[in-house]
Amino acid sequence: MSCVKILSRESLRVAVIGLGKMGILHASILNTLPDVQLTALCDKSAMIRKFCKRVFEGVHLVGDVEELSDLRLNAVYVTTPISSHFFVIKTIYSKGIARNVFVEKTLASSYDKAKELCRLAQSFGGVNMVGYQRRLNVSFRKAKDLLTQGTIGEVVSFNAYAYSSDLLGSRKNSKTSVFRGGVLRDLGAHVVDLALWFFGGLTVDSTRLESVTERDSEDSVYFKVKGSNGLRGEFNISWCMENYRLPEFGLLIKGSKGFMRVDEDKVELKLDNGKSSMWYRHDLNDNVDFLLGAPEFSREDKCFVKSVLEGCNAEPSFCTASKVDYIIDQVEHGPG
Amino acid sequence: MSNERKKVLLVGDNPFHGISHLSQERARVRGDAITHAEYAAKLVMTSLENGANGFMFSVSDMTLSILRMIRETGGSERLRLYAIVPYAYEYVRLVTQIGVLGLAKNFAKQIAVSGNVRAIAMGLKGVIRTDPVALMKTYLTYEISRIKSSAGKQANLRSVLLHEIITDMALALNLDGLFMAYIDFMLELGIRPGFETRNFAYLVNKFREWDIDFREIIIATPFNKVGFQMNPSRTECEKALAKLPGLNTIAISILAAGYIKPSEAINYLRSLPNLKGVAVGVSKESHARETFKSLKERLE
Repeated sequence: MSCVKILSRESLRVAVIGLGKMGILHASILNTLPDVQLTALCDKSAMIRKFCKRVFEGVHLVGDVEELSDLRLNAVYVTTPISSHFFVIKTIYSKGIARNVFVEKTLASSYDKAKELCRLAQSFGGVNMVGYQRRLNVSFRKAKDLLTQGTIGEVVSFNAYAYSSDLLGSRKNSKTSVFRGGVLRDLGAHVVDLALWFFGGLTVDSTRLESVTERDSEDSVYFKVKGSNGLRGEFNISWCMENYRLPEFGLLIKGSKGFMRVDEDKVELKLDNGKSSMWYRHDLNDNVDFLLGAPEFSREDKCFVKSVLEGCNAEPSFCTASKVDYIIDQVEHGPG
Repeated sequence: MSNERKKVLLVGDNPFHGISHLSQERARVRGDAITHAEYAAKLVMTSLENGANGFMFSVSDMTLSILRMIRETGGSERLRLYAIVPYAYEYVRLVTQIGVLGLAKNFAKQIAVSGNVRAIAMGLKGVIRTDPVALMKTYLTYEISRIKSSAGKQANLRSVLLHEIITDMALALNLDGLFMAYIDFMLELGIRPGFETRNFAYLVNKFREWDIDFREIIIATPFNKVGFQMNPSRTECEKALAKLPGLNTIAISILAAGYIKPSEAINYLRSLPNLKGVAVGVSKESHARETFKSLKERLE
């Protein structure tokens, strides 16, 4: 981690743009952090602003990103729909609203836009981070450690999945799929990020997309990838699966010395020499200072705030996360 | 564990909603039977026959069906009800699908269709004045009427608890006014106000700061020997519990989602002061019998 500039230990003045589920969640967690002053909230809905005014006392409420310009903000959280990330982040930088930006995944709605945001972030400096919070889940972290230690030897292949029942039985032409940017960006991006974190660069080999809820919607996706040293991988992603009450992400990883199965709840290790181990969240110190939603969100916000205060890079940065947009573009539009 | 009064031993409803905090895979493997109201009602009744004296549940169509079935068997009188609102999973799912405003519209429609005049009047006031407290009261009135009409007049609704996502969000945002309005409203209705939380130590500190009287409320929060979901740590939660003035805390996640054995869980619970009781989910008839027999023998 490189440290660029250390801010004084005064409270960070932070704004949250977009007051949907994720915006309210981050605003709440940020409010519990001792070094943060929740300074402003931005949402285009007048009704939401009106209610928030009664709840968030002493916090500026605005309807347009540019109205945040004069608030001397240190950092901004962007939790608007993916399609608006590019415009919102560009405005934050170009209007000098803040140098430090956190954005919920995915970074942008295409790789070209993601690249442009990376360029902007580099030229304006500051800390930038994308909300791939599964990296902060204790069992995925354990799996990453085991891979780094070479516990299963050289990785030969993997099968990754991201399933939910979110749109199972959804009304035909409900527009939800399109509004949420398709299953790859909404759900699959997390497991693509995990695979890139675990295995490094990947290129898309072949793909199959299925529309279930409406014509041209992206509801189920299967694709194959190749990595370095002959690594092969497969992804299965769908939000129309039965019995996935909550979204679930996991990988089965085969190595030269055994295999590992990991999901958000546990890591299972089986080696060719007969040794096997299993770790649940319970075994991996999953407690946090303040829990809301899932422990990963608290760790994520704490990590971003600490990075801003200490002037260190945060991961996944815009640049790291843009690789997910690259893979998604390859799947949606074909390699190359 | 103090023996000042008979402990409340509650059947929890997580397995009936297909929830396992150990792993989602485990919840799926349990199969469909447990999520059928008839089977779930039978499990609650078996638990009652073996030492349980109440039911802690999120208010949903599923649990309201269970209450109706128990009423039909004449079991309601023995049952102390601890209701958790809202059924967060369903609302979060709807927010994901239709957004915050879509959810609000959807909910307004449900209340209008219910014909609950008091709720409709309060709701209109809440919307016109953009008053979150009036909207909260509207919601509570609606949910309480649903519980009462399902469980029947004999039902013993001991407490209505705010779901952890609401409690913890309001804690994070320092919404002391909302907590106090909720407590006052529930006390006016003659129902004990309750709070489910995964941040017990934080809640105790905040409630002390806001002069909330712990003797008037119920708190449901994880207590287990491995510290699962006890934030920021098991030690801090135990310290906070020891400082409470009376028996108002119900331990949940006592088996750490099946990670520890009932006998170990009970040994740990016996070492804690100030527990009012426990809530634990069961997924099989044999679990129901063994778990509540042990709890009754060793905790009461």
